[in-house]
Amino acid sequence: MASTSPPITASEATPNTTTKSCAKCRSNPGTFDSRGQLVCRTCFQKFISAKCIKQIGLLNKDVRSSSSSALSAYHSTQKNAGPPQASSRRYLLGLSLGPSSAALLELLNENVEFQLGKGRNAPFELVVVHVSSEGGGENQRERERVEGTVQRMRERYPRFEFKVVYLEEVVGLETIDWAGLGLLDFSSSPAGDDNDNETTSKAQKLRHLFDTLPSTTSRTDLLRLFTRHLLISEARKNSCHALLLGSSTTALAELTLSETAKGRGFSLPWQINDGILGVPSFSPHSPSTINNKTEDNGILVYHPLRDALRKELVQFTKLTDPPIFDMLPEVDPTATAAVVSHKDLSIEEVMVRYFADVEENYPSIVANVARTTGKLLRLFGGVDAEGNKDKAEEGSESESEEEERLCGLCNMPLDEFGDERWKGELGEDSYRDGLVEGEGKGEKMKQRICYGCERSVRG
Amino acid sequence: MAPTLCAVCKTERANIKRPKNHARVCKGCFITLFEEEVHHTIISSKLFYPGERVAIGASGGKDSTVLASVLKTLNERYNYGVELVLLSIDEGIKGYRDDSLETVKRNAVQYDMPLKIVGYDELYGWTMDQVVETIGKKGNCTYCGVFRRQALDRGAKMLDIKHVVTGHNADDVAETILMNLLRGDMGRLARSTNIVTGDDSSDVKRSKPLKYAYEKEIVMYAHHKKLDYFSTECIYSPEAFRGSARALIKQLERIRPSAILDILRSGEDMARLVPGESASSCGCKGNKSKTPTTAAAEDDGGIGGCGSTGAAGGNEMAAMEKQLRENEAAEGQGLEVDVSKLSLTGKPAETETDGSVPLKPKANSKPVTRQTLGNCKRCGYMSSQEICQACTLLEGLNKNRAQIQI
Repeated sequence: MASTSPPITASEATPNTTTKSCAKCRSNPGTFDSRGQLVCRTCFQKFISAKCIKQIGLLNKDVRSSSSSALSAYHSTQKNAGPPQASSRRYLLGLSLGPSSAALLELLNENVEFQLGKGRNAPFELVVVHVSSEGGGENQRERERVEGTVQRMRERYPRFEFKVVYLEEVVGLETIDWAGLGLLDFSSSPAGDDNDNETTSKAQKLRHLFDTLPSTTSRTDLLRLFTRHLLISEARKNSCHALLLGSSTTALAELTLSETAKGRGFSLPWQINDGILGVPSFSPHSPSTINNKTEDNGILVYHPLRDALRKELVQFTKLTDPPIFDMLPEVDPTATAAVVSHKDLSIEEVMVRYFADVEENYPSIVANVARTTGKLLRLFGGVDAEGNKDKAEEGSESESEEEERLCGLCNMPLDEFGDERWKGELGEDSYRDGLVEGEGKGEKMKQRICYGCERSVRG
Repeated sequence: MAPTLCAVCKTERANIKRPKNHARVCKGCFITLFEEEVHHTIISSKLFYPGERVAIGASGGKDSTVLASVLKTLNERYNYGVELVLLSIDEGIKGYRDDSLETVKRNAVQYDMPLKIVGYDELYGWTMDQVVETIGKKGNCTYCGVFRRQALDRGAKMLDIKHVVTGHNADDVAETILMNLLRGDMGRLARSTNIVTGDDSSDVKRSKPLKYAYEKEIVMYAHHKKLDYFSTECIYSPEAFRGSARALIKQLERIRPSAILDILRSGEDMARLVPGESASSCGCKGNKSKTPTTAAAEDDGGIGGCGSTGAAGGNEMAAMEKQLRENEAAEGQGLEVDVSKLSLTGKPAETETDGSVPLKPKANSKPVTRQTLGNCKRCGYMSSQEICQACTLLEGLNKNRAQIQI
């Protein structure tokens, strides 16, 4: 999430007020407003750090616990990647180069340094991946700019591995059901040699796809999903136990409301909570029968900054020495300026603007949104995680194998029961009555991608 | 350029762009489509049975007027065999309600339906104007909403009717879903998506046949059918959560017209994911387990009672923010040793005195509140509390009045 509320200088207390001492340590002068309290710089940093370390602790435990035995089994089956040592956890951080993920990178580095300074082993290895939607294909100048930024990060955090992946690499990924989307030419070629020509054409294919999408919201949505696919793919390639995302409380609240508005309420608990997510394969060349069982073939996705507000993280990146904030690409100032045409906004942008407002005045309400949404149950197609059938879904003919079917685009569980009921409530395709004429191919797609993804692709 | 033809009949000129999906249709086809969609909702949710007496909660506004008109049309077209009655509540708001009631009276003649008007003054001894005089404009919508819910039930009882239909539209429901997400109220979110609240076991059931109808289409329908309705909004309008959610919905609709329906879809699906809530909101799929929805008419999930807004008072968001902060502070108070603080300074963490680093137990611990129904000890009305909301509010009001008189 690159766009943020205007630079947070507002939370710095005005100097002319009589200097109060920090509400926490009571020794230094309180110069930062942290959730209604005046605190000093050190206490503010500690506060943010504590929120992150707590989540990392939970993750470290999760990786050690039983749920990871299957993961280790998965990793041990991968070629050239021996089973990870019990002591060496390996994580992948998705670095968008926005303030939140940059803050997470800094915090993870602090954590490692701290442990090393104590004479302990590093708690984990970290691979940092930036997925770039710019500089696709031939755009050399953009490429250099992106690589330059990442190179400066690499120099700042020499302990971690850094990598840039371009969005066009999503073309051919087997975690997306290209055939089901009617994009057969996006499937991976069996030969799989990546010469320059092919890279260009991948970028062209992708640009063409984006050009044909029905709206800005659809484009933003697919950009997010593709980025996620690439991060998960990199995590698996690099034998990582978990994917770490820098999403702040604010970002999770935005995600909650925008996914609700995009019709993906069903999969929200999968998206908002931390835990293991299934990773399907739709490869036509894959000889093995489709096995979507999450336990055998999934990845842990964690949001260690889920308890920090975005404005706090922006502040945090300005306080590090030297400030990482200055290393980040500038956010387009027009993003927060007056909107020329509301129609060209995406749903995500609307939510970002909305929560920037709410965050300013009601931070706890923002935090509460993600927290309560997280209480919803994670279900598979009307069946909950323990395999109990949804009360109302008795006598459906779905085979047990199908219970874990995942959407061919967002990879979230499909809600077959919900789809069925929705059809009943609204009448078959009543939304499109009189809108689309003679479109036959849609019918099959419905079975393979979720309601929200269908909306994104078809409008 | 030849005029675009209607996508449905392909003969008439398409002079309407449906707000719902931007389909281009002619006036006649729009009216038919709109009615047929409401019919589909009624049938798929099995809202009525032949011979049933149904009260239409009629405010004189566009939603309830369209509801009355469509129900009358469909009842005749499809022989529902339903007996329709108009039921109006007189809140006692001068300059708003007295005029709209005149509209309802005309509607009663136009649609040839009996009309019953119940006043707050006769039910509670207070008109809304008097309430506002006493407590001010802030928070008066709480009173109005609570009073109205009961008033409709009591009115229905006077008429010996067990089913009240209301004019809530898709925008209202979507708004309520977003509002309850913002409030973090999953129990209410689940209930608000139900097309029917209350059931056979409670006295009066409520349903919203226009649940899937877009507000803009309702306005269009009223316009093209030349319906007689009253279009002033209530003069006592609040901001807060509902206003906030409403503004969002309007923005989303502009960007992607389907967003309102998509929010409904999300809300219905999420309702199934709320721990402990009953599964389905529609009757079309063999619901063998008739678990009574504990949320009866007393609480329909926070759906606004009045056409315009209807949230609790003005500074609702600020109040909630305060509450949440207090909770956080309380939970953080010395519950856990903060191991994580070691990291930054290398010094062991000082003991926290102010509890400002809230280390909560894992988020999932607080259960979603459920309701069990009983009757109010004071007025005998169904309530999940010992004393129903209306009586509690009345008690406060009456105390106030007594003091003023002294």
